[in-house]
Amino acid sequence: MNGVFIGSYYVLIALGLSIIFGILGIPHFAHGSVAMFSGYISYLLVKRLGMDLFATLIISMLFAALVGIVLERIAYRPVRNAPPINSFIIALGLLMMIDNSANILFGANQVIIPSSYDRVFRFAGVSISSLRLYLLIISLVLITLLYLFIQYTKMGKAIRAVAQNREASLIVGIDTDRVSTVVFALGSAMAGAAGVFIGSIFALYPAMGGATVMKGFAVLILGGLGSFPGAIIGGLLIGITENFGTALLSSAYKDLFAFVLLVIVLIFKPSGLFGRKGV
Amino acid sequence: MRYLKWGTIGVLVVLSLLVPVLGMKPYYLHLITYSLIWVIMTQGLNIIQGYTGYVSIAQAAFFGIGAYGSTLLSVDLGLSVWLSMPLAVLLSGIAGVVIGYPALRTKGHYFAIVTMSFCMIVWVLMVAWDKLTRGESGIPNVPSPPSVFGIDFSKKENYYYLILAAVFLTLLFTYRFVHSRFGRALVTIRENEPLAQAIGIPLLAYKMLAFTISAVLGGLSGALYAHYTHFINPTPFTVDYSLNAILAIILGGSGTIVGPIIGSFILIFLPEYLRVAEEYRLLIYGLMLILITIYMPKGIVRILQVALEFVKAKAAGKSASKASGKGA
Repeated sequence: MNGVFIGSYYVLIALGLSIIFGILGIPHFAHGSVAMFSGYISYLLVKRLGMDLFATLIISMLFAALVGIVLERIAYRPVRNAPPINSFIIALGLLMMIDNSANILFGANQVIIPSSYDRVFRFAGVSISSLRLYLLIISLVLITLLYLFIQYTKMGKAIRAVAQNREASLIVGIDTDRVSTVVFALGSAMAGAAGVFIGSIFALYPAMGGATVMKGFAVLILGGLGSFPGAIIGGLLIGITENFGTALLSSAYKDLFAFVLLVIVLIFKPSGLFGRKGV
Repeated sequence: MRYLKWGTIGVLVVLSLLVPVLGMKPYYLHLITYSLIWVIMTQGLNIIQGYTGYVSIAQAAFFGIGAYGSTLLSVDLGLSVWLSMPLAVLLSGIAGVVIGYPALRTKGHYFAIVTMSFCMIVWVLMVAWDKLTRGESGIPNVPSPPSVFGIDFSKKENYYYLILAAVFLTLLFTYRFVHSRFGRALVTIRENEPLAQAIGIPLLAYKMLAFTISAVLGGLSGALYAHYTHFINPTPFTVDYSLNAILAIILGGSGTIVGPIIGSFILIFLPEYLRVAEEYRLLIYGLMLILITIYMPKGIVRILQVALEFVKAKAAGKSASKASGKGA
C-alpha cells in the first residue's frame, strides 16, 4: 500500500513535469524543488498558524503556481531562443538556488506536516487513514481536472497546439507567451499539491528536490512523454517497484530501482511504454 | 599577437613549475593542486559537453570510479599505485563505453537525464555496497605512489609535479585532439547533427569516442585525487559535483581549451574566499550559473577575447594613423 502512495506522489510530480517538459520542451529540473518548497509553506502554515491541512493545500498550490510563473518569466524566457542546453543549465541553477534557500530558511532536518486526520477506515480487509484517503481522492480529482482542462477548454487546445508546433501556433494567432505562463502555473500547482502530499504522509527535507525531480523524469520517460495514462501507470509502477525492492533487498538500494528502470527503458524503448513514436 | 599568446603560455608554464618552490603556504599549494586535478576532469567533460554539445552529468561518477578503482586496487589487492592508477583509468574508460553506448542513443535533455541517473546509481553503490566500498565512512590510508629515482611522492611538493605532468599531457592531448579531424567532426555534430550524418560522419562512433575520452580523463583525475588526499568517501562524487564541473566549463567558456582551466581555478578558489558565505554557496553558484547563461553564454574566455581584439584594434589604429601621418 505504501508503494501506491509513493507512486501517487510520483504521478503528481510527473504530470506537472510532463506538461512543462512535453509542451514547452523545458527540462524543469527545479520542479521537485518547487514541490518541496511549497510543502514547507504548508508546514509553516499548519505549524505556526494552526491552519487546516487542506486549506494550506490550496495556498501551497497557489504559491507554487506563482513561483512557476516567476521562474518562467525571469529565468527560462530569456533563453527560449538559445540552444536547448541553455535552458537545461538554467534549470540546474534554479535547482541549486531553491534547495539552498530551503536549507537556509527551514534547516536541513526532516519535518512532517502535522494533521489531525487520523481516523482509520476499513473496507475489504484494507485499512487506510482518513488523511491518506482524502489525499488520494484529491490527487485523483486534480489529475482529472488537469486532463479535462487540457482536453476540452480553449486554452487547453492552444496548449496542445503549442506542443505540436510552436511557430504554426504563433501564425494562427495563439499567444504562446500566455500559454507558457499557464503551463508553468498549472504544472507548478500540481507540484505544490505533491509537496503537501509527501510532506503530510512521509516527510520533507530541503535536499529532496533533486531526487524528486529525477523520479519525476523517470516516470515521464517510462510512461512516455505527453501521455496521461503513461504518467499514471509509470508513477505507480515505480512506486510499487521501489517498495517491493526495498522489502526484498535493502532500503539502502531504494533509489537504485527507478534509475536502473529508467536506463533500461531508454535503451529498449526510448519513447516509453505509452509514448508516441518520434518523441 | 602570436608572441603575446606564446609569451603568456610560457610565463604560465614557468610559474606552474615554480609553484612548490615559491615557499607559499601549504594551504595555497593544496588549492592549486586541487584546481589542477579539476582541470583534468573538466578538460575531459569539455570534450563531450563543449565540443560535442552533449551535456553529461556523469563526470563525478567517472571521477569516483577512478578514485575508488585505484584505491581499492592498491589497498585491497596490494597493487603498486603505478599499476592501480592506469588500471583505474582503464576501468573508467570501460565504464564510459558501457554507459555511453545506450546513453548516446538519446539526445539533448534525455542524454543529460540518463547520465544523471548513471551518476546517481554509482553514488548509491558507493554508499550502499559497503562490503566493497566501506560505505559512507570511507577508506583511510590510501597509499602514495612508491618512490621513483629517489623522488618521494608522499611529499605534497613532489606529488604536485606528478599532477602537473598529467595536466600538461592532458592539455597537449586535448589541444591536438580538438584540432584533429575528430575534433572538427565533433564540432560539426554539435552545430548540426543531421548535416554531420549527411556528410558521412559516423555519429555514434564519434560520440562514443568523445564520451569515452571524457570518462578516461575523469578517471585519471579521480585516481590522482585519491592518492593525493589519502582518504576517500562518497561525498565528492555526488551529482552536485557533476554540476560544479559543468559550471566550471560554462563559466570559463565551453568548447575552448582555456575555458575549463579558468573555470576550474575559479570554482576551487571562489568558495575559499566565500568562506563567510559558506551557507549560501549553492545559492551563489546557482545564481552565477543562471546569470552567465543568460548574459554571457560564452564565458570568461569570450570577455578576454573581446578585450584582446580591442587592444589589437587600438594597436592597429595607432600604426595606421602613424602610417598615414608619414604619408602626409
